[in-house]
Amino acid sequence: MGVQVHIHRTHRVSTDGKEVVQAEGSCVGECLEHLVKQYPGMKEVLFDQKGNLRNIIEIYLNHESAYPDELKKTVNDGDEIHLTFMLAGG
Amino acid sequence: MAFLTAHEMERYDRQIRIAEIGKRGQEKLKNARVFIAGAGGLGSPISIYLAAAGVGAIRIVDRERVEASNLNRQILHWNDDIGRAKADSARATLARLNPATRTEAICDTITPENVAQLVAGCDLIVDAMDNLPTRFLLNKTAIEKNIPFFHGAVHGFEGRAMTVIPGKTACLRCMYRGPIPQETFPVIGVATAVIGSIQATEVIKWIAGIGALLENRVMVYDGLAMRFTEFRIQKNPGCDHCADAAEKG
Repeated sequence: MGVQVHIHRTHRVSTDGKEVVQAEGSCVGECLEHLVKQYPGMKEVLFDQKGNLRNIIEIYLNHESAYPDELKKTVNDGDEIHLTFMLAGG
Repeated sequence: MAFLTAHEMERYDRQIRIAEIGKRGQEKLKNARVFIAGAGGLGSPISIYLAAAGVGAIRIVDRERVEASNLNRQILHWNDDIGRAKADSARATLARLNPATRTEAICDTITPENVAQLVAGCDLIVDAMDNLPTRFLLNKTAIEKNIPFFHGAVHGFEGRAMTVIPGKTACLRCMYRGPIPQETFPVIGVATAVIGSIQATEVIKWIAGIGALLENRVMVYDGLAMRFTEFRIQKNPGCDHCADAAEKG
């Protein structure tokens, strides 16, 4: 069954336009690894050159902020991950 | 407390008829002093709707001059305002809209050195900035002064809003992971209109003491999908802005 990962509109260029991607894993980090395996372009979107989550990225698990230690958060079948980013415009 | 004149009773009749506002709520709006950081895309609908609603005093700060590329969204300023200081243009527009609102428009950059003086005497801070560092500065200032902070931001057809009540709710800094590179962002005016209107709604509700605020939740608007999504956020006990803040009694 896995986890549904919701991709932000601006990042869908890296997921062949897909808004939702199915991913497997026992924690958020593993699910994102699986996402990157399916769509390698998401690696640069989400992580910096040192492999750290980019400061601008926000992760919500079941509509609740996964911050802090987002990647370590446990997930269960049917969970939803939303990937978005901090907006700055006005 | 200043009471309503006969003219004000007539001018605000349609909203005084709203049971939650009434005459008492209108008086609260008349006595409110609002600080708006930015007279751009968000600052335009925020200031226009707050002045139209009868907020008594608005202090609006912006350092820039009106450029042609502002006019797709910054409805405080019109074509013949190009080149004019946004503060002056904002003052003129708001004065025409509602002369009873005391509008103080300041042409300045908001900095750590002057922010306390700029917001002095105001009951709340509205975030209508175009960059994150100043947003965090205003967030911190609001917490230090124990006054609410009404956050909004946009990108393209998307936007978000949340309300920070010091000592009670999560703040903008609670999810901070580090600095973010600045960029020129894409935006369409209808997105700033939606988010600015949500921020103005939150301000009116807080002043009147009504409704449920966007506390511990961020409202994300996607204009292309025409969808609102709500995400819950939690106060971070280790937040360097709000961890020690106590709720105003």
